[in-house]
Amino acid sequence: MSLRGKLLRWLVIPLMVVNLAGATAIYWLAWLPAQSALDQSLADAAWALVPHVQESGNSVELQLSQQAEQVLRVDHFDEIFFVVRDINGKTIAGDLDFPVLRTPDQANTWIAYLSRMRGEDIRAITLRTVVAGEPILIGVAETRVKRLQFKLRILLSLVGLELLLLLLIPVVVWFALNKGLLSLGELQQNLELRKTDDLSEVPLAKAPREVVPFIRAINVLLARVQDSARAKQDFLANAAHQLRTPLAGFKAQLEWLQAHHRDDPDTAQSTALMMVSTERMVRQANQLLALARSEPGDFERNRLERISLDELVSESVQNFVDQATKKTIDIGFDLQPTFVKGDRFLLRDLIDNLVDNAIRYSPEGSVVTVRCTQDDSYGVLTVEDDGPGIPDADKEKIFSRFYRLDQSQQGSGLGLAIVRDIVKDHDAVIGVRSGENGHGTVFTIRFPV
Amino acid sequence: MHVLLVEDDPVLADGIARILRGHGMAVDVVHNGDDADRALQAREMSVAVLDIGLPGIDGFEVVRLLRARGSQLPVLLLTARDDVQDRVRGLEMGADDYLVKPFAAPELVARLKALVRRSNPRPVDLQLGGLQLDPFARRATIDGLTIELSAREWAVLEYLMQHASRVVSKQQIIDAILPWGEEVTLNAVEVYISRIRAKIDKAGISIKTIRGFGYMLEQSAL
Repeated sequence: MSLRGKLLRWLVIPLMVVNLAGATAIYWLAWLPAQSALDQSLADAAWALVPHVQESGNSVELQLSQQAEQVLRVDHFDEIFFVVRDINGKTIAGDLDFPVLRTPDQANTWIAYLSRMRGEDIRAITLRTVVAGEPILIGVAETRVKRLQFKLRILLSLVGLELLLLLLIPVVVWFALNKGLLSLGELQQNLELRKTDDLSEVPLAKAPREVVPFIRAINVLLARVQDSARAKQDFLANAAHQLRTPLAGFKAQLEWLQAHHRDDPDTAQSTALMMVSTERMVRQANQLLALARSEPGDFERNRLERISLDELVSESVQNFVDQATKKTIDIGFDLQPTFVKGDRFLLRDLIDNLVDNAIRYSPEGSVVTVRCTQDDSYGVLTVEDDGPGIPDADKEKIFSRFYRLDQSQQGSGLGLAIVRDIVKDHDAVIGVRSGENGHGTVFTIRFPV
Repeated sequence: MHVLLVEDDPVLADGIARILRGHGMAVDVVHNGDDADRALQAREMSVAVLDIGLPGIDGFEVVRLLRARGSQLPVLLLTARDDVQDRVRGLEMGADDYLVKPFAAPELVARLKALVRRSNPRPVDLQLGGLQLDPFARRATIDGLTIELSAREWAVLEYLMQHASRVVSKQQIIDAILPWGEEVTLNAVEVYISRIRAKIDKAGISIKTIRGFGYMLEQSAL
């Protein structure tokens, strides 16, 4: 159920009801004066008869010429009836079948009322007067054609007006609602258009007073989400750090053991395998740390500094060469002076992950090349291998967490997800394509300078 | 070469101590900052390996106290954290190098040797495989037989021997052999290397080319 629909219903229906009540009131306001004017003219006719009621002997008669009676009875629309009766109801003159007269309480007053005569509804008035000391009742009535026409005319105009309002009210309410709900729409847009990792506060400044509590609540929620994300990252980082000393101890002991039992093939085999596992644990711990560090939500852009990418790669060359040598991979470099704006540790994680991937997923005897170059507006890092390559269909998926192209290789499935996060942190762009002749893979990252 | 090792994790301390002893170093092990401070005052050392997170006074403070006493002893810090602040603070306090746990033993050994060599201008004999360099006499021998080297070749080979099993860039080689800033091109380095290769090919060692970067002198695979 939408708020708009609810408001619309709550506004339009009562407005219609109020409007209908108004129309009824207007109807009566228009009709009542008309009715009393028409009644008055009936009364005037009755008053006009009074002088003609005269005493004759000890009775009372109506002295009315035929001409005068015709004048009295003439009307465009209605038939006019009249009667003169004494207080006992005896007809003195006029229409004998005039219905029984209602009697006003006082002399020289009249009352109006509805009645029936000759099978038709009539409007009648009774005037009570006194002639020669005798109370006399004069009734005048007319059929209701004129009156019904009046009523019809009023009704028709009202119906027209009502129809117009019926159409106008929802439109006006709709516009008013949209205008009023605009700030809600803006809030919605603010929340919808923000990047998935953007947990910053929703601005309060332009919000109407009624929406402020909602925005506050949303901000509280956002802050809580941010806190929990940070807590998760802190936990990850902490756990990774905590693992390092025991791992270092284990590794040192193992290295000593390896050196001491180099000549016993069985033990050497066993220690070599243990070393492989240890290296994996070390790498996994470092990956967890890198993951926590690169999480875009936790990343502070103000930490970025001008960094020499070629020097950063140089610092890891030893590590890369050791790794590549173990797999008899020919690793090479082409490091031009390249400067980018970045975070030293994140960039190192990025370089490590890309090169590690290239070495890990290329078969023995492959060639891996790391390049960095500067052009006018970009610092470009390229890692190229001539390994099995990545099918086009998988080129997007490889950046997902825990997605692994080659299940036979040991890997965390985090490497390229970390790379992607770090690329995002740096507003850089990563591209992946096949190498020359369609062999191997080339990762290219362009950093804004 | 006498090493003071300060590490509170007993497994790691024991492991490092064994490895360093295996490389012919004398190792004293202490497990907290206070003992480290006392040991540094009591004994003459060649180098200290110092964990940052220690019970009692921490590694930063041990270095600060050491430098406050005017000691030039080379110090390598070990840490489980790789925050910038840790590194910067360690180096500001007067540490000479920095290694993040967990590390490879050869890396630690190489760095310690480099630190000691830097602090100790007295040249020591360098030996790898069948090759022996006597820096004092500027004499290179393979299995006791002297080989002839030009001054430049000698300097390059000495630098490679000092960094055996380590990757060195061409630029590092140039910087090392020409402290007075003579012009030497990267190509010239390649020429020296190829001449040296020809002269040491019987020593059971080889100079590996790291494409586009530099070289690594290592013992040939047996």
